[in-house]
Amino acid sequence: MGFLDSLLGGKKKLKGPAPDRLFAMSTAYVTLDTGHAIRTKGVAGIVFQPLATADFESIANEMQEILTGTGEETGTTFETTDDEHGYRWIILRDDDIEDLVVGINAVSDALLTGGYGDRVLAAVFPFEDSQGKPVYFIYNYKRGYWYPFVPAGPQQRNGERELQIKAIVGDELPLEPELERWFPLWGIPI
Amino acid sequence: MLLTLFLLGALYVAFVAVLATSGVSGPMLLIIVGGLVALQLFTSDKLALHAMGAREVTPEEAPALHAMIERLCIQADLPKPRVAVAQTAMPNAFALGRSQKSATVCATTGIMNMLTPAELEGVMAHELSHVKNRDVVIMTIASFFASVAAMILQFGFFFGGGGSSDDDDGPGFIGILLISLVVYVVSFVLMMALSRYREFVADRGAALITGRPSALANALRKLHSGMERLPQQDLRVARELSAFFIVPPGTRQAFLGLFSTHPPVEKRIEALARLETELQRGTIAAAA
Repeated sequence: MGFLDSLLGGKKKLKGPAPDRLFAMSTAYVTLDTGHAIRTKGVAGIVFQPLATADFESIANEMQEILTGTGEETGTTFETTDDEHGYRWIILRDDDIEDLVVGINAVSDALLTGGYGDRVLAAVFPFEDSQGKPVYFIYNYKRGYWYPFVPAGPQQRNGERELQIKAIVGDELPLEPELERWFPLWGIPI
Repeated sequence: MLLTLFLLGALYVAFVAVLATSGVSGPMLLIIVGGLVALQLFTSDKLALHAMGAREVTPEEAPALHAMIERLCIQADLPKPRVAVAQTAMPNAFALGRSQKSATVCATTGIMNMLTPAELEGVMAHELSHVKNRDVVIMTIASFFASVAAMILQFGFFFGGGGSSDDDDGPGFIGILLISLVVYVVSFVLMMALSRYREFVADRGAALITGRPSALANALRKLHSGMERLPQQDLRVARELSAFFIVPPGTRQAFLGLFSTHPPVEKRIEALARLETELQRGTIAAAA
């Protein structure tokens, strides 16, 4: 943000998505699986702000048609749910994580081409370690970075575990360099 | 807008020049001005929080508020600010702090009880827009100059009252006094204009972050009617902070709006309604 922007009260628009690094997950999961027994739960979600406008609804409907279409080929199923904060989740289920990445990308792509790329908050890929503890990988679209999120009870996160995971996949997954932007997402529906 | 800022800057240049020619040495002048700006920038947030009786809250204490702000921060591409809550029935919210990284956003228990989650989200997004636009620093600096001028003015009345030293530097002194007065009045009016403009910008920013301009409009309407019904004695402390509030306390139909920090709520709601129309037509999305 330039000096003039800051004097005049900032940019007139919300920041759109950063360069796409979502697909890094389609290779990074191998390291997680083979080296560290952290495995996909066969599900992934994308969360965005639904707008109460006719245009947005039609884009959302198109998006669902695309998902139904690709789902017939890949076997990916999906469902939609609204959370307590007023955000909408599209949840995809498929045992093949590469299909999940493709599916999530199809959703964000449909929103982006419809002009609503700035409404996308994050994509979430839940994993499970050998003890059955959840490890979430969150992709922040605005930043174009991934980060791990390990909840440890209500409103508590296991920061040590998150940093361990950073060490494990930091080379393969483009991780958010600023730790204060590792925003938790409580009440993830998957 | 640029003109307003330019005029503001020009005024201070003139002001400092007058101080300098009146016998205050250059380095001393810099130290005084710089020191006071720094003092204000580094302490005003803590002082203001203290004055409001606000306390920083952890995610465990206020999970819903924290979760709301975290999501808004992702949308606005901001680092997460500290979150504070003030235990008061007066419904309000404000943002403090000199930078995006050291910012604090505060909501009163009153506002959290009064508004629905979507409306509160709009209000918090408005405060985060202030953080994003660095409004606190800009308004702090702007108000700082106005207050320095006021201080000199008071000083002038205090020492000028004796009238014992009219033979050595009488005319210079009266000159400073007059100029301080003019600087104060003019800078005050400009500062208020600047503040009103930035409120509109923050409203728009909030609507873009949440995608729900009407939720914020409804929140403003509720807050506005709520603020007027509450007793005044609670608000005296709050008046000092009014530039930071979402809806300033005790806004009357003041002086043709010239000395008001916030634009009239009706105008803000109108602007948000226009934004909602754009949104429903899809013109905002098409431009994105």
